Amino acid sequence: MAHWMKNLKVQPNSTSLEEARKRTFEFFRLACRSIPSIMEIYNLQDVVSPSQLRSTVASQIRKNSHVTNPKVIDMLLFKGMEELKNFVDHAKQRHHIIGQYVVGRKGLVQDLGPKDEGISNFLKNFYNSKYS
Amino acid sequence: MGLGLLASRTLLRSGKIQPGNFTSLLRRCIVSTTELQNAEAAQAQAQPDTDLPKRSPVGGARVHFPNPEDAIEVFVDGYPVKIPKGMTVLQACEIAGVDIPRFCYHSRLSIAGNCRMCLVEVEKSPKPVASCAMPALPGMKIKTDTPIAKKAREGVMEFLLMNHPLDCPICDQGGECDLQDQSMAFGSDRGRFTETKRSVVDKNLGPLVKTVMTRCIQCTRCVRFATEIAGVQDLGMLGRGSGEEIGTYVERLMTSELSGNVIDICPVGALTSKPFAFKARNWELKGTETIDVTDAVGSNIRIDSRGPEVMRIVPRLNEDINEEWISDKTRFFYDGLKRQRLNDPMIRGPDGRFKAVSWRDALAVVAEVIHQVKPDEIVGVAGKLSDAESMMALKDFLNKMGSNNVWCEGNGPNPNADIRSGYIMNTSISGLEKADVFLLVGTQPRVEAAMVNARIRKTVRATQAKVGYVGPATDLNYDHEHLGTGPQILKEIAEGRHPFSSTLTNAKNPCIIVGAGVFERNDKDAIFSVVETIAGRAKVVRPDWNGLNVLLLNAAQAAALDLGLIPDSGKKIESSKFIYLMGADDVNLEKVPEDAFVVYQGHHGDRGVYRANVIFPASAFSEKEGTYVNTEGCVQTTVPAVPTVGDARDDWKIIRALSEVAGACLPYDSLSAIRSRMRTVAPNLLNIDERQPATFSYSLKPESHQETGTVPFGTVVENFYMTDSITRASKVMAQCRTLLLKI
Ligand code: SF4
Ligand code: FES
Repeated sequence: MAHWMKNLKVQPNSTSLEEARKRTFEFFRLACRSIPSIMEIYNLQDVVSPSQLRSTVASQIRKNSHVTNPKVIDMLLFKGMEELKNFVDHAKQRHHIIGQYVVGRKGLVQDLGPKDEGISNFLKNFYNSKYS
Repeated sequence: MGLGLLASRTLLRSGKIQPGNFTSLLRRCIVSTTELQNAEAAQAQAQPDTDLPKRSPVGGARVHFPNPEDAIEVFVDGYPVKIPKGMTVLQACEIAGVDIPRFCYHSRLSIAGNCRMCLVEVEKSPKPVASCAMPALPGMKIKTDTPIAKKAREGVMEFLLMNHPLDCPICDQGGECDLQDQSMAFGSDRGRFTETKRSVVDKNLGPLVKTVMTRCIQCTRCVRFATEIAGVQDLGMLGRGSGEEIGTYVERLMTSELSGNVIDICPVGALTSKPFAFKARNWELKGTETIDVTDAVGSNIRIDSRGPEVMRIVPRLNEDINEEWISDKTRFFYDGLKRQRLNDPMIRGPDGRFKAVSWRDALAVVAEVIHQVKPDEIVGVAGKLSDAESMMALKDFLNKMGSNNVWCEGNGPNPNADIRSGYIMNTSISGLEKADVFLLVGTQPRVEAAMVNARIRKTVRATQAKVGYVGPATDLNYDHEHLGTGPQILKEIAEGRHPFSSTLTNAKNPCIIVGAGVFERNDKDAIFSVVETIAGRAKVVRPDWNGLNVLLLNAAQAAALDLGLIPDSGKKIESSKFIYLMGADDVNLEKVPEDAFVVYQGHHGDRGVYRANVIFPASAFSEKEGTYVNTEGCVQTTVPAVPTVGDARDDWKIIRALSEVAGACLPYDSLSAIRSRMRTVAPNLLNIDERQPATFSYSLKPESHQETGTVPFGTVVENFYMTDSITRASKVMAQCRTLLLKI
């Protein structure tokens, strides 16, 4: 299954932002391609759809869209790859993926929503937890 | 024994004695109380101390001298104390700071003197005396820790334990048992009893009190409590000698509304709480001192919780409100806190089913709807259990939205909030004890406010005060005169045509109590003006005595009136388009128009939820900090004991959040900020634990020209055990209802 990931190793640093950008897209495609097998491994058909997972991956990447240092991007890509590999190798369990990328996804996307701009701290705390 | 053994060991080690002697020495050392075997000799040795340290009374109590000439002086362990005449030896010892062990004596009950645990030695009396039953006489020399007294206690303890089962490991009283503690402190270190113990058949006292009668030590506290305080002749003592049993004679249930208190006064585990049986040990519980909200009395309680669960509720001493008793509803409704809880914000979909949504979505939907209706079509109703903070927030929010239609349920269509003396108990609950004639108008205190009823009963018992009652036939547990059922009787009394009016005028401290059920009547103003006429004739309101009272029904009522939660008109619900129910379950929801949008904010899925379009889950009184005002105007706060369930939030926070989403942001976002807002509206709400008497009296009130109707007064509380959303969700309360109320 994971034959193409078998021999992953740390790539040499990207020389420019361009190259880092290209690698990011490659990583995204790789992740998208492995989504069907992840769905299979973790039996996710009835909790989430492939497109939802894809947009989760995309929003995770977009969360770091402000990063311009190629070295930092390389590091983030490496971490992303590590996470992906863990999923593909079944090194994680079902609740990990559900907790972080299916249920947790809502908070992830909403935290970035323009709706929350300009609301008071009180309201932010109110949404976040009952103890505040 | 520890010291003796230690001493003999050191002797042995230092080689002063031969091991051969040792056995005999050891044998003598083991006996804990050698002197006791020869009390007289040891007593002769005891030397009177000359320089005694100053002692303070047990529990920091203060002595009150009714008339100072009657003070007498006694000596407790050589220490002189001044006490009022008529006190018992036991009370004198307490004032001297000596706690005498006791089982049957209880300061609020009559004296029985049948356990003999309180024996002390009194100089010149031939035998030790039972201090709880012996009046202290001038110059008495009381000795509480002489060998004779100790020996007497040890003996009594041994007799008590003789027939007491050894089931501490499975007894719910374990850890808070008087017998356990006192046998540790005063008992012998071994038993000599080898016979079989007696056993007694358990009695069924109903769904609240569990009995294990073999554990009973025949102190008769429960019998005295039932007859004296609760006013039911249910319990009694059967048989004599070793056949003595506590029971109901014929199999019947204990039907008092105060029956749970026998659990607290039973010194052993004979009477324990049935719902709490085998649930927890008392040392694993966390106690939170808070107040009760199921009626308007605001009884002081302690919530014992384990983790997130309320395990039991027990009373807390407050002489001004509930003394040390609480009603059964207060004590046992807590299982309702675990059932039917709302834990997620929900929106009713087109198919009529609720769907859980996030707070964000729920608030957004409500904020959108509230902008689509006209300001005077917005209505807010605060529920029975609301705290002052959230009612303040609700009122401020609706006012900001342009509506002034906000009230608290139970206060009726046009409440009088201007004159505070018109809606609180001016005499104060403890002040009721000074009254000598009561007139109850349209109120059945026994079910509306059990603790107030207990005070009235106490007064009636102590001073033979007369009670006149106007209202539907009811069962009050003291002597009373049923004057009639309708307001006409009041008119007769007011005009002096009724025999009771002379009773009132001749009374020294007459006291009139009007039930809050009258608030809901159309002729409310007329009734109040008739009552004021009566009050004027009988001089009920004087500078030194204010006997004109209103007995409220719900915990939220007084605070709502203090904060001015009064509607523009009573007919607003029929024409409303947007209704905000803050825990209000008893509003008549049939009158709500079909197309109205109903928001229900509350902690229980109760009546209000059936009609709601959106649900906001809120926290219950045990989970939040809130201010409540009780019927006598005493301000108290609840303290959070357990975490809230699910995604619920505090009431005032929900309204604050909604106000921001709706674009009418309230200017406070913390509890202290909302309290300072309350200060500007009703400064008395900040004086926690203080009773704030009303300053102005009825004389300032404008005349009312309404005519009294002829409709008789109704029963306000049909079902004592289920009056609000929490008690309606409680299984124990439902059992009580089916088993106890049919009688
Ligand atoms: S049941 Fe309890 S309170 Fe009643 S007599 Fe027995 S020990 Fe005393
Ligand atoms: S306490 Fe005095 S005899 Fe029981």
